[in-house]
Amino acid sequence: MICAAQERRSPARREEVGVQSRNVRDGSESTPKREFQHAGSETAAPRSVLARERARIARAMLADCRFCAHDCRVNRLAGENGLCHAGAEARFFSAQIEVSDELELIPTFAAALSGCDLRCDFCITGASSWNPRAGTGFDPHAMAAKARVALQGSARTIMVLGGEPTIHLPVALEFVSLLPETARLIWKTNAHGSAQAHELLDGMFDVWLADFKFGNDACAQRLAKTPDYLRGVKDNLLWADDHSELIVRHLLMPGHVECCWQPVAEWLAANLPGVKVNLRSGFWPAWQAARHAELRRTVSGPESARAVDLAQRLGLNLIS
Amino acid sequence: MKKRRTKKNCESSGESQVSELLILPDGQILVHNLTPAFAGLLHELNPDDEHISSRSSRRNEVKADVTRPPLLRSGAASHLSPHL
Repeated sequence: MICAAQERRSPARREEVGVQSRNVRDGSESTPKREFQHAGSETAAPRSVLARERARIARAMLADCRFCAHDCRVNRLAGENGLCHAGAEARFFSAQIEVSDELELIPTFAAALSGCDLRCDFCITGASSWNPRAGTGFDPHAMAAKARVALQGSARTIMVLGGEPTIHLPVALEFVSLLPETARLIWKTNAHGSAQAHELLDGMFDVWLADFKFGNDACAQRLAKTPDYLRGVKDNLLWADDHSELIVRHLLMPGHVECCWQPVAEWLAANLPGVKVNLRSGFWPAWQAARHAELRRTVSGPESARAVDLAQRLGLNLIS
Repeated sequence: MKKRRTKKNCESSGESQVSELLILPDGQILVHNLTPAFAGLLHELNPDDEHISSRSSRRNEVKADVTRPPLLRSGAASHLSPHL
């Protein structure tokens, strides 16, 4: 079956992406989830089985951590910390059913892992996202039990987020291994993961809900202390679009319509035509946003209108 | 701008749920981590707000505990703030 995401790709894009991810375990070409769930296929393996195997691999990879684009290569099993400061164990700061995400995903049971590899000064969960030791120890079995209860109730989906869940791949994958095969799983990410992370995540989540936060490297460096941001996020989005359903989010920031939203919108229109885009205008000056004069306020009505107008002129597929 | 952190006991499990909201001077309310129960509450305060009604309609039927006068000014919009 050719999925919509594949149909959207242009020949130029295929060359640009060049994605031929390999199965982490045996080196064979990996297959999108839609295919390895096909019943009767000899190569089919339940998601839970793959996730369990990959969780073990991910755990071992903590000895030379390359989960995100920072590529720190520290030994987290030995107590070394990279830029995210995360150790070997994961903690979480929120786990509940929520309805503030995209309409097609809600209600979702959202489990938020502590710690992140970015340092966004305006992070609305900065205290927990900047501190991987915040919150409570993440027990995949206990969390999966909660998720199953949520699915039996009102939840339509399960969302794994942070902070940034990519830095906690071992427990995130173990969590996936304990969920029903039919559960619709959402990977909410800052799109700053590495190729190694992609191999582990291939086929694990039905939807990638990915942020495209900054439209240029200077803003990313100044507001999130993240160098070489654009290259990484574009690679992530192209990969995610090839391997999963993708929804791109952009949080509109006050004073950043032209420098951030405009190039983001133009790139999406040119490289991911038709992809679902959620333009969020509910910025509030949280955490350390006041360090930056332009971030001490919310988004104005004219800014929001300008941003929506640009999206419409570019033909973006806006969703809410 | 006033930031409020609200906690409400989940009726089914007894565990706390957390939503955060920011009330702007013009009466707009920004919400983060909106729970079904809180969406229901906001919907009852301002039934005409389509941002909230589209989300509260998807919740499990959790009866909102509305015992106070509406916080939202008439005609004020509420907008949802994302996870970051």
